[in-house]
Amino acid sequence: MEDWRRIDIDALDPENGRLTAADLTKPILQTGEPVYSSQDVQGIMGSLRSYASSGDFTSVVKLITAQPVYFADSEQTKDMYVKQVVESLAQCRTMEISKIVSGLTDSECDVLIKFLYKGMSIPEGAKQGTILLAWLDNIIEKNGSNSIIRYLTDRKTV
Amino acid sequence: MSQSLKPYLTAVRYSLTAALNLSNFSSQEVERHNRPEIEVAHQSMELLLNPMHISRNEHEQVLIEPSVNSVRVSIKVKQSDEIEEILVHKFTRFLEQRAENFYILRRVPINNNYSISFLITNQHTETMKVNKLVDFIIEFMEEVDKEISEMKLFLNARARFVAEAYLSEFVY
Repeated sequence: MEDWRRIDIDALDPENGRLTAADLTKPILQTGEPVYSSQDVQGIMGSLRSYASSGDFTSVVKLITAQPVYFADSEQTKDMYVKQVVESLAQCRTMEISKIVSGLTDSECDVLIKFLYKGMSIPEGAKQGTILLAWLDNIIEKNGSNSIIRYLTDRKTV
Repeated sequence: MSQSLKPYLTAVRYSLTAALNLSNFSSQEVERHNRPEIEVAHQSMELLLNPMHISRNEHEQVLIEPSVNSVRVSIKVKQSDEIEEILVHKFTRFLEQRAENFYILRRVPINNNYSISFLITNQHTETMKVNKLVDFIIEFMEEVDKEISEMKLFLNARARFVAEAYLSEFVY
């Protein structure tokens, strides 16, 4: 082995004390946080689609924030859900956004902001950047940096 | 300021201000070491906070990666054609080679998706004003676009002049 000096020996030590992402989410899962299967997520996505096509974006946001998919059977399910959320949020007209956001509670804003940051990290969301930024801007106008600070430290990620 | 630029910069400003809440933190693995935890390859997950992606469109993005004692900010500058790609590359390289004069500039961007990266540690926030640091990054984002489009105009004007001067030799 040529590069033996660069081997991270601490990683091989079972008692190294390093925490992984799974270690941090384990205590949250023990509190009884729901784990969604891909069928459940398909169901939520179906109602999101129907709300969005009928133009009822208050219900879209309420549904997104009431049932955030923090834990699912696979990463693909979560990704699929985020894509649907981005698609639904992007259909909203810019004029309506401030009215919808002003009707949200603080904890609903905290959940929505997770989807906005996550949405902007995927290529589909980056294309819709302007409209996602409009949502984020309205939350900032309402809550200042409070929601962002809570986003930073929250281990329940979408 | 254009209509979509303002929400973009507001989002970056607030996200960055929220992330720049840093404290001194010694390494958990190596005694008497103190390193920016975001830059350590094998860090423990509890030291990192959730990263924030802010995208205006596919070409203009900011990634803010906060940790307990350091924040890494990566900026993707708008590059709509090949000339702009070359100009951005040259411009950011010029700055990166002088990184020690900018204190918070990283010598290389974190990966090829981003044009330039900044690394702000708790030492910077202790010796400099945090809101001025944020102002600096926002101003950089505003200026770099202007600078690149200006350079592009100069380049085109110069190319036209050179081409005219050269080709006029062949007019009989």
